[in-house]
Amino acid sequence: MIGNDIVDLALAQKESNWNRKGFLDKIFTKNEKLQIFNAEDSEVMVWNLWSRKEAVYKIYNRQTQIRGYFPLQLECFDLEIIDGIIYGKVAIKETVYYTKTEVKPQFINTIAVENIEDFDTIKTLENRNNIQKINKIPSYFENETLGYKPVSISHHGRFEQIISI
Amino acid sequence: MNKQEIIEKLKNIVKPYIKNQEAFENLTETTDFITDLQINSANLVDVILDIEEEFNIIIDNQSMERMLDVKSAMEIIETKLSEK
Repeated sequence: MIGNDIVDLALAQKESNWNRKGFLDKIFTKNEKLQIFNAEDSEVMVWNLWSRKEAVYKIYNRQTQIRGYFPLQLECFDLEIIDGIIYGKVAIKETVYYTKTEVKPQFINTIAVENIEDFDTIKTLENRNNIQKINKIPSYFENETLGYKPVSISHHGRFEQIISI
Repeated sequence: MNKQEIIEKLKNIVKPYIKNQEAFENLTETTDFITDLQINSANLVDVILDIEEEFNIIIDNQSMERMLDVKSAMEIIETKLSEK
């Protein structure tokens, strides 16, 4: 399974006031809040951590069929920057998922996977051709193999990303 | 506070965050905040904080988990109000 999330930073700024009283407390754990306060750009760190939680939630939701609003249960940790890409882990109920986040001036994008090797086989799709929902999960029909591949779609403001594996 | 008053207040709370006007106009108990009203998941926190302020209640994390549709929100608000 895979999951992705994209945040249009200009739209996020317009839609959300992360400085609002109670906002961070409802979404981020103590350690995550420390990362936000210590970050050079706290706002970017808010959306960086948020996009990681969202991308991992997509996998978790598809695997368990559990739907809910529990951002505090998804905890980001082990952040490491390699060649400008932020690698990290997100844990929920003992399960750890891997995330890869790109921070650009206009957007933040996270891809999450179950197995770290899956990062190498992720591909981006240009459009929604051949994508249909199988058991509520968007899937891509591959002509070469006549099989379905899991797809994850994220859209926010000016940006959209469709990935498959 | 009766059900009708709660639902009216709830409608006013979600209004600024909705992206699907038609679903909002046809809002019922089964309306889903994310799939029907298309409220951005980050804005769901704002909805929850607005509910806390409007009704003067605290939504604990366990209740927040279920806060995805009108029905659950109503139940949570009613329960918290009755505990006051």
